[in-house]
Amino acid sequence: MIFEILIYPGFVFLVLASMIYYGILRKVAARMQSRIGPPIWQPILDFIKLVGKEDLNPEQAKAGFTFWPFIAITSVLIAGLLTPIAGIVPLSFTGDIVVLIYFLAFGSLAVYLSGFSSSNPYGVVGSMRGLIQMIGYEFPFIVSILVPVVAAGILSPFLINTLQVHYGWFGFTFPFAAIAYFVSILAKVEVPPFHTPGAHQEIVSGYSTEYTGTRLAMIELAHMIKLFVLISLGIALFFGGSADILMFIVKSLVLLFIITLARVLVARFRIDQILKFTWFFGFVALIDLVRVVLIL
Amino acid sequence: MKEEKKMEKVKEERVTYSLPIGPQHPMYVEAENLNVYLDGETIVDVDINVGYLHRGIEELMQRRNYLQNIYLSERICGICSGIHSMTYCQCIENLLDVNIPERAKYIRTMVLELERLHSHFLFLGVVGYEIGMDTAFMYAWKDREFSMDMLEQVSGNRVNYAMPTVGGVRRDVPNHIIPSMLKKLNHLEKRTEYYRKVFLRDRTIIARTRGLGILPKKDVERFSIVGPVARASGLKIDVRRDTPYLKYDDLDWKVIVEKAEDSQSRVMVKVLEIFQSIKILRQCLKKLPSLDREIKTKVPLVIPKAEAIAITEAPRGELVYYAMSNGTDRPERMRIRTPSFVNIIYSLPIILKEQQLADLPAIVASIDPCFSCTDRMTLIDTKSGEKKTVDETYLKKLGERRLK
Repeated sequence: MIFEILIYPGFVFLVLASMIYYGILRKVAARMQSRIGPPIWQPILDFIKLVGKEDLNPEQAKAGFTFWPFIAITSVLIAGLLTPIAGIVPLSFTGDIVVLIYFLAFGSLAVYLSGFSSSNPYGVVGSMRGLIQMIGYEFPFIVSILVPVVAAGILSPFLINTLQVHYGWFGFTFPFAAIAYFVSILAKVEVPPFHTPGAHQEIVSGYSTEYTGTRLAMIELAHMIKLFVLISLGIALFFGGSADILMFIVKSLVLLFIITLARVLVARFRIDQILKFTWFFGFVALIDLVRVVLIL
Repeated sequence: MKEEKKMEKVKEERVTYSLPIGPQHPMYVEAENLNVYLDGETIVDVDINVGYLHRGIEELMQRRNYLQNIYLSERICGICSGIHSMTYCQCIENLLDVNIPERAKYIRTMVLELERLHSHFLFLGVVGYEIGMDTAFMYAWKDREFSMDMLEQVSGNRVNYAMPTVGGVRRDVPNHIIPSMLKKLNHLEKRTEYYRKVFLRDRTIIARTRGLGILPKKDVERFSIVGPVARASGLKIDVRRDTPYLKYDDLDWKVIVEKAEDSQSRVMVKVLEIFQSIKILRQCLKKLPSLDREIKTKVPLVIPKAEAIAITEAPRGELVYYAMSNGTDRPERMRIRTPSFVNIIYSLPIILKEQQLADLPAIVASIDPCFSCTDRMTLIDTKSGEKKTVDETYLKKLGERRLK
């Protein structure tokens, strides 16, 4: 239990794996853009560098400036512990998928609140966009998660995972929900076309404009872990589950590759376009939810 | 009148906050300040402050002789360096009333069109970057390397080509590089066809460019906006066609005009102009081997009192040089009017009004602003608000202070 929480697939594994996955994403994207790209361990080096840098506190910043990044990383780490990775869930109890949804949402919310508390106009605009984007993507996210939950009649992602390993993929049974889930992954981790809250060309770095040092490292790390957790949750809920580490790695790399494709291929949406786009997929996911309810 | 005032008041009330964009901002490569007044995320009004890159070049030109000024004029802009030095040389040739050899004319045309290629590819990349599509940026700039390579083949340099001199060009284009240049042109034509499809059909690009940043034709005429920006609003102006210089009237090409008046049409004008440039380049390369080897006529560099003007079409529009000589080896007065100045100052407030803040970078990029040539003429001290004249002694003092 302690080993599972702390080492594998707990904190250490989560942090390292999500960094490496992000490195792979960057490397593959670079190769697609005909660049050489950084080595896949670059996020780890970046993290170490950032932790060693000075933490600056701007005068106009509010009190939350100091702690929101840590709350963000804590909540995504807890969400990671509730997610089945390679058939193991470090923390598991009945109804944990609800808690999982909450922690994932709170991870994003804490990041945006950190932007608000920095009192920088760019940070505030970025956070505002982030919150509007949340209104957009939480709908398809929750509806698509409800589909396998209602279908299986269980609130535990671990059990849904084992169910899929034995009885086949939910992604084939409910393709609409799987697509909507995938779109909400993109929106949640701000991969193009959803990289509006931190759009460099418009609002510098968005919510993280004022951040430096360790706290910036925390925001970045929370971002990477969120990507990893959402991929593993996707495998557990839609893409056939994972009984062993090999299966998990193969499936997650395929998902990561598709996310990289999205990152490379599309331009950035405007915030109003994001709302239309994500809500459209919310209703797409609703088709499957209605199907499930009618069948049962 | 009363109603107008009322409208203004309503506008002021609408403004919830203002966002400074620049002088240091990731949107720009160069330093410039846009003060954007916002109602939520909708732009109500824009204040444009230019002048952060002023270097006092006109004044400096009057203190140097005609040969030294070639090098100075080349450094006005980093992207369109060739057109500046060529227009300068053309202006001085008009002062002297000399004709340059035929071969020099072809070589100048070639370098100018190669520069237009590289400038337009740069523009495509920048537009892609501003709408958040990094891949378009990487691709366009990779292809831009081909045009830079060609410039290097011709002149030995990639940025400041140093090709023209008063009375001709400084280097000849040898025959043996022509086949490899034609090959590169073929490659670029294929790639441009690809970009034409992408910028015309890609869903996400359309969502960020089509119907945005409308610049009506009547405003174009009213503010005499120039170059591709004017052509994208349906106005058929091009100095190369209207007052032909070099060899443009002998070559077969056409002026590109788009009617949609929006960001996308401004992009499309440039994409289609790349095809025309490639066409012009092919004709030049075909003609070059049959021409006489002479590339330069001798000219006196002490010029009697006269006035002259030279107008050319830079990649961004009409470029005007005015020179006045006084019987010495230095010009009495130089005056330069760059296309970006007109395009930035007059078109930005029109096209940005009632747009979303998120569209601002893409719209600003779509007029292809080039700040370093704009700032040659305006100087505002933003800290104290007072206006100052920067002269040589002041700049020297600054330099000395830096050295200490």
